[in-house]
Amino acid sequence: MTGKRRWGWLLGVVAIAAGLAMMAAAFSAAGTKSRTPSNPQAFPKLRAVLDTIDYLDPQQAYTGQSWWAMYDVYETLLTYQHVTGPAGYKLVPGLAQSLPTISKNGKVYHFKLRKGLKYSSGRKVVASDFKWAIKRGFLATGQGVGFYTDIAGAKKYAAHPTAGGNISGIITNNKTRSITIKLATPRGDFLTILALIFAAPVPGGTGPAIQNGSIPSTGPYKFKSYDPNHGFVMTRNKYFKPTKFIPRGNPNEVDVSLVGDADAATQMVINGAADYSNAAIPPDRIANAKSKGRLVLRQTANTYYFWMNINEPPFNKLKVRQAVNYALDRGKMQTLIWGGLGQATQNVLPPTYPSYRKLKLYSHNVTKAKQLINQAGANGAKVTVWARQVSDSVDSATYYTSVLNSIGLDAKLTTLPRATYYTTIGNKATHAQTGWARWLEDYPHPLDWFDVLLNGNRITNQDNNNYAWYTNKTTNKEIESLKKAPVLTPAVNARWAKVEKQIMQQAPWAPWSNRVFPEFFNKSIPAKCIHVQRLYGIDLARLCK
Amino acid sequence: MTAFVIRRLVGMVFVLFTITVLTFLIFFATPGVDPARQFAGRNPDPTTVAAVRHQFGLDRSLPVQYALMMKRLFISRDLVSYGNQALEVVPAIKAATPVTLSLVTGAAVLWVVFSMLTALLAVVFKGTLVDPLLMILALIGISMPVFWLGEVMNLITLDRWHDTFLFSWVPSNGYVPLTQNPWQWFLHLVIPWITLSVLYIGFYARVLRADLLEVQSEDFVRTARAKGLSPQRVLLRHMLRNSMITFVSLFGLDFGVLVGGGALLTEVVFGLPGVGKLTYDSLQTLDLPVIMATVIYGAFFITIMSAVVDVVYARLDPRIRPT
Amino acid sequence: MAEFAFGPEEEVVLAPGEAAQQIAGKSPWRLAGRRLLRDRVALGALALFFLIVVVCFSAPIYAHHVAHTVVFGSNLNGTTTVNGKTVEVIQQGTGELGIGENPIGPTWQTNYFIGSDAQGRDVMARVLYGGRASLGIGVGSAAICCLFATAFALLAGFFRGFTDSVLSRVMDLIWAFPVYLLAISLATVLLSQTTPIINPASLWIPTLIIAVVYIPYVYRPVRGQVLSTREKEYVEASVSQGASNLRLIFNEIMPNVLSTVIVLFPLMIATTILTESALSFLGIGVQSPHASWGTIIQDGQELLYTRPWVAIAPGIMIVLTVLSLNVLGDGVRDALDPRAKIRAAKE
Repeated sequence: MTGKRRWGWLLGVVAIAAGLAMMAAAFSAAGTKSRTPSNPQAFPKLRAVLDTIDYLDPQQAYTGQSWWAMYDVYETLLTYQHVTGPAGYKLVPGLAQSLPTISKNGKVYHFKLRKGLKYSSGRKVVASDFKWAIKRGFLATGQGVGFYTDIAGAKKYAAHPTAGGNISGIITNNKTRSITIKLATPRGDFLTILALIFAAPVPGGTGPAIQNGSIPSTGPYKFKSYDPNHGFVMTRNKYFKPTKFIPRGNPNEVDVSLVGDADAATQMVINGAADYSNAAIPPDRIANAKSKGRLVLRQTANTYYFWMNINEPPFNKLKVRQAVNYALDRGKMQTLIWGGLGQATQNVLPPTYPSYRKLKLYSHNVTKAKQLINQAGANGAKVTVWARQVSDSVDSATYYTSVLNSIGLDAKLTTLPRATYYTTIGNKATHAQTGWARWLEDYPHPLDWFDVLLNGNRITNQDNNNYAWYTNKTTNKEIESLKKAPVLTPAVNARWAKVEKQIMQQAPWAPWSNRVFPEFFNKSIPAKCIHVQRLYGIDLARLCK
Repeated sequence: MTAFVIRRLVGMVFVLFTITVLTFLIFFATPGVDPARQFAGRNPDPTTVAAVRHQFGLDRSLPVQYALMMKRLFISRDLVSYGNQALEVVPAIKAATPVTLSLVTGAAVLWVVFSMLTALLAVVFKGTLVDPLLMILALIGISMPVFWLGEVMNLITLDRWHDTFLFSWVPSNGYVPLTQNPWQWFLHLVIPWITLSVLYIGFYARVLRADLLEVQSEDFVRTARAKGLSPQRVLLRHMLRNSMITFVSLFGLDFGVLVGGGALLTEVVFGLPGVGKLTYDSLQTLDLPVIMATVIYGAFFITIMSAVVDVVYARLDPRIRPT
Repeated sequence: MAEFAFGPEEEVVLAPGEAAQQIAGKSPWRLAGRRLLRDRVALGALALFFLIVVVCFSAPIYAHHVAHTVVFGSNLNGTTTVNGKTVEVIQQGTGELGIGENPIGPTWQTNYFIGSDAQGRDVMARVLYGGRASLGIGVGSAAICCLFATAFALLAGFFRGFTDSVLSRVMDLIWAFPVYLLAISLATVLLSQTTPIINPASLWIPTLIIAVVYIPYVYRPVRGQVLSTREKEYVEASVSQGASNLRLIFNEIMPNVLSTVIVLFPLMIATTILTESALSFLGIGVQSPHASWGTIIQDGQELLYTRPWVAIAPGIMIVLTVLSLNVLGDGVRDALDPRAKIRAAKE
């Protein structure tokens, strides 16, 4: 080689080497970007198995599993902290800068959006996007629309929703990033309703057609793909900036498979094909599964109860209703029905609520129950017990029927298909005496329970949710009054506890269980990595390996 | 022949139309089922429910609703499920069809082969213990409820003997598409194939054996034997072909029924997301659009196979004149 | 009894082992009966079927005197004695969480012979009670089905023309509706009434549904038989003698048709029992508080891997019952038309 050529050659080699070195540096940085000093717990992939989801569209989804996924994808103005314990029910700012200012009459809420927010598509998040989300809910007839009808102008809009139409009660200003919401009537649970994923802002103009997983996200993750037959994948949202309350998640990617068969799902975790499954393991297989993986029991806000129609004999007599409450052996029922996966209760609200005061009004006493039935003259009264044709309902209702028979009533069980059960027992013309029911909370506020299920003013002749047809002047009035309290202060919570006790003294219900659900993890997930967020369940953002 | 075919087709269309009307009436006459209320969420107020009802055309008269549903199903093909608005009915059935086809075709291959084998063996070994033994097995096969057999198979292959070499390869219940992983597709279907075919092997073995025996005493068989043809040749080339008429026509009908969703018990027990399972799930939630589509799909297959069988039968048996 | 099944131009066929003298002068029904009585296998099957019926219908006796149990309530709190020791029927799971539960397994003694189900009930007793429902529905719906199908077939085949067209079209319609879909649809609709007119738990609902669904199955062959009998010369002879329609139907055609129906009847019972168990398994057949073999299999589904007997026992009962009916059906067919057996015997 000539001299010049040699230099050229050397220069070329150096250039290539430098290029390679830079590429190597870039790749290794990408590879270790997860394990940076700011996030030592990050790991590449979480493989989860869910039994089913309904939608991955924020204005449509209405199941716990969908919300579990979207808690870290679609942020709302207010959100819940990523902590374990009761603090997980406390509202904190999400996309809003701070908690809102609320007018004295409880009708006007004023928010300001955080600065510099962007969707996962890079588009800016503006205040009017919140308004569009509420409108979209009405346009798409999402299942949560009923919650927002108290916003001024919403009912009018709902009657004829159009893309260009206006909801007069929501006023936004994109320049100042302000959102003002005016209510037609004050509503004590409005803040919790705003924290529902139904109110998650989406880019203005997003069409009402259902979009599963393609709407840009505002949270730590975004949906990468969705296949209804297989599952969906979540990856990091690079435009997300963590806040005091919303952390960057630990997994880089979350791969969720949808497997309907509980045994197959559990087997996947045992084999190591998945890290986590929320399948409802049958009670007789739980002991077996427990030894092969990590089982965590999760409390959810639910109450399983038997309602007693106070209009229909024999349950129109207080003594009979009290007798039923005395007759149930709640402790034993947890073992017998759920295999131990439940907590005995005599309350309306589940123990997750700050206002919860454990009631002990009716200890298990069959003799007393029989006495009360005698005193009420209800011996031999014919009773039809209603249940729906799902195993958790039929099993407990069968037991309940035998309890009623053991205290002197003449009870028979009737079951209805799942699709028509609630409409049938919610129809006055059925004259249903007693039966099975359960309530899973929509949002963590006592109004979601007492106003819907036990407020005499909201009884309707059809599609009634108050299956006991319970009404009482005192408690009705108190519930209406509590509706106006916008924040759950300790004083307000004390009033709720009092209402609950008064209602249970009238015994329109015989509550018996707060069900607990198994969450099953592969042995490779250390126990310290598993955190349960009170509302959303297993905290996906804080899982580690 | 053409006139016959055309007449059958017209009859088929008429039958399908009537079935859709009947299905529609059956489900709309059910009180207590209000899709509008289901859509409107858990605490709807009457205005919301009314708005939803209007949006889905549920406040129009029954004939109009029927016409709308038919139009959405056949013409614009955007009919949407009541239970899940993201689920389009026609694509859902399209997605479920390969699963059912895989299950039924595999089972059909098994049952044709084994029933013929059983019947031929029974005839060849007639007079020995083999014949009654095979026929008892066939009888037991047709006496077992297919879903129970499926459960027992699950018990044996997934639990009791899962750890032995016999069944350790059996995967958990579910389906893997052929295009995704042929080997897993095959493994997931082996036990369902066996379960579904047991019933039909028994049935077809008996039918074929009876026909073979009937043919055996015919004159042409005696002639063939007199000509010096070997028994096997006589059996396979002469007797079998003449005995196949009933077999073929029954097979056509059964295959049509199964593909049309009749394998629903097997699909439910083994967790295969086929048309049968889709039907069953939609009936649980009274999801009328999906029910309608699956019923039409099923009835279509039955009537078309019925017509095909009639034509084939006419061709195979010249004694039958198409009427 | 008049001349019927075998008209003048038909040969009387001998069953294997029969001599012409033995059957001379005997009516075809007596001949059939004779042949049936000599068919040991068919008799055995009949005896088995009767045994099953008797055992199932004595369920209350078993429950009360043998197992000392009540099967239609919930018995979650119950206890029982095994080998002299008192044992809880539903046992707590083991492990530090103490969760999970196990119904007691087979004791192979008089109480809880094959164990308990998830509600603490004696499965053996329940299987017997379930047999009452399954057999009742099976025989009942087969009977109703055959009755109506024969009636329709007689009308259609005899009067032909418009009646035949209408009836046959209706039958085609029911036939084209996939069997399980039709049964499932009707069951779902009838069980979903908001204000129930019929008690949703009534056993008549599955009985009538299954009967209706299988009418075309019986209608077709019977109608074919009616049509071919109608063509026979002795029928024409009667017509020319001025016999009324009714006389023709009952004297000439029906007896011929009856043999077809009698052969079909046990087979239809077998089919209806299988269908009822399938519908109950899917949850749209027999409803609680009643039990049938199908519902017990469904109960056993969730206990399949730990207490398999709950699912296996009713299945075995179904297999035995249906098997005996199939064998009996074969025997009846051979007795009424020994032609098939003759040809086979000639080899």
